[in-house]
Amino acid sequence: MTEIKHHAYLFDATRCIDCRACMVACSVENNIDMDKTRIWVAGIGIKGEYPDLQRGTMVYHCMHCDHPDCMSACPVGAYTKAEDGPVTYNPDLCIGCRYCMNACPFGVPHFDYDKGIIEGAFIDKCTFCPQRIYNGQEPACVETCPTDALEYGDREELIAKAHARIAEHPTRYIDHVYGEFENGGTSYLILSHVPFSELGLPNLPETPVNEVSEKVMEMTIPFALGWGAVLSGVAAGVNLYNKKKEEAATQQKEDAVK
Amino acid sequence: MKLNLTIQPRFRLNFSPLVWVLLTLMGIAFVVAMTRYIFGIGAISDLSYSYPWGFWISFDLFTGVVISSGGFLMAGTVYILGIKEFQPLLRPSILTAFIGYVMVSIALLVDLGQPLRIWYMMIHWNGTSVLLEIGICVMSYLTVLAIEFAPVVLERFPKLHNIAHLIHKFIMPFVILGVVLSTLHQSSLGSLLLIQPAKLHPLWWTPILPIMFFTSAISVGLAMIIFESSLSSRYFQRGLETHLLEKLAKAIPVVLVIYAVLKFGELAVAGDLGYLFTSGIMSILFWAEILIGVVTPIIWFSIKKNRTSPNGLLTGAIIVLLGMILNRFNVSWFAVKHPDPMFYLPTFMSNVSYFPTLPEVAVSIGIFAAGILAFGLAAKYLPVFEDEEEIHHQQA
Repeated sequence: MTEIKHHAYLFDATRCIDCRACMVACSVENNIDMDKTRIWVAGIGIKGEYPDLQRGTMVYHCMHCDHPDCMSACPVGAYTKAEDGPVTYNPDLCIGCRYCMNACPFGVPHFDYDKGIIEGAFIDKCTFCPQRIYNGQEPACVETCPTDALEYGDREELIAKAHARIAEHPTRYIDHVYGEFENGGTSYLILSHVPFSELGLPNLPETPVNEVSEKVMEMTIPFALGWGAVLSGVAAGVNLYNKKKEEAATQQKEDAVK
Repeated sequence: MKLNLTIQPRFRLNFSPLVWVLLTLMGIAFVVAMTRYIFGIGAISDLSYSYPWGFWISFDLFTGVVISSGGFLMAGTVYILGIKEFQPLLRPSILTAFIGYVMVSIALLVDLGQPLRIWYMMIHWNGTSVLLEIGICVMSYLTVLAIEFAPVVLERFPKLHNIAHLIHKFIMPFVILGVVLSTLHQSSLGSLLLIQPAKLHPLWWTPILPIMFFTSAISVGLAMIIFESSLSSRYFQRGLETHLLEKLAKAIPVVLVIYAVLKFGELAVAGDLGYLFTSGIMSILFWAEILIGVVTPIIWFSIKKNRTSPNGLLTGAIIVLLGMILNRFNVSWFAVKHPDPMFYLPTFMSNVSYFPTLPEVAVSIGIFAAGILAFGLAAKYLPVFEDEEEIHHQQA
């Protein structure tokens, strides 16, 4: 395998047979309960009419966005984006506000609703199996996939591969690689034979959804300083005006007395 | 400075039926909160992976913060703009705000997954997070409010008058800081939703959400001062500063017209006007919010008779509050659409719809009851309400 500059997954919805081995592999590898798995599978049912029947399955886990919204939203910086792809979560910083769950357009971060403050309730999400990928192995879900519906590799190479596959079977696929540009680019790329919205994927622009809020946040400190200066100016001005008015009033009184 | 403290009642609790009701509600909330701390948020609430924020955020955070905006409005009016005639409304407004923010903080400690780590916000900063800004602002503003309110407590104790006087002398920087902090976080509550363009309905999602929130916070603050003055004049059998409240009531239509122009102007510019009639329940919620919170109050408070009668003032204030609270619920809950339930079936462990459970609501109600009790106690035992004559007397 060549050296990977930007770790990424490629999922091909036409190849998935809904066996859910990836869910088991993930639970085993990361030692988490099956009902809290970091990867989950949804069948969209059978569509069309005989003989043109179609069925599709979608495998969801963290998209590992290039501009992660969870990371942008987290007040205490519990999320980090590695330069080579993975978005990781640090439970030692998490305060449990769940703003990341709101921010993520894909609904990825999960929260321990069944834990009190003694055990500690944390967020859980896909880590990209750092213990495996940095040791030359594939992530657990990819390694276990029997039909190569999930593949792992360098992002650029996978995008090229995906486009090549579309070119090879133009009738089978929709001519789009989901995740190439969505939300500013993600490290989980998806090929599909049905419209992506039918796979439950949100229709996102190429600009990351956190763009507006980050711009507003950039203006906060200059605005606060400016607003504070304006208010101080007004307060000083009013004070001065009132003093002058008082002086004038006393002056008038004195004049009147004279 | 001479305050007639002899008329203050001695500190003796008077357990009227209302107090018992409030204490019971607080007790229920306490038990529910303890259950949550031991068994987790899922044990008492309907919050889920799809709906991480629910009633607590809409009611305790969004509503709680916006109805506490009277404090900075009055502090700014009296100290910064130097309009001293509003002095009688200052202390009750600051008390309302202070209690409001304490309630918000307590409620958030129930909602937060790791309440013991709330102070992490002070040391671990992620500059792109709107929630961080709100956290910092609310914490700082709570301190500012405590400082602004401290003289009222200190005056109760003759020996501490010097400190009260000292705080009063250096109050200006704190007032300015308070107004800046309030402007920031009142508007930032709107910014919280900016990161959800894919989830919040386009009738509400706009890049100018922070400006909308700040504008509506001003109208709510004014309405809240009227509401709180009217109720305390009834409950504590004291005079109502109708001539002052009339001026506030006069300002409300002005603010709301600005709000309406911004709102519809933005929808027109963004090309979202079509959603006004085509989004089913969302269109109905939108029009309900606009008719109750904007149109009706503009008409109501434009009629002089309503501004001068105590009943007219109270009714108008309640209309504004209802409409704007509906707005906060819409923005933070009703109009937020999480990914399609069908595709969330695979998160089989998760609910795909959200409706608050009774214990969830009980927590909020209990905290609210505590707020009412605190206000009552403070109004009774502290020099919160100053008669106008007394103030003129002091100033002379």
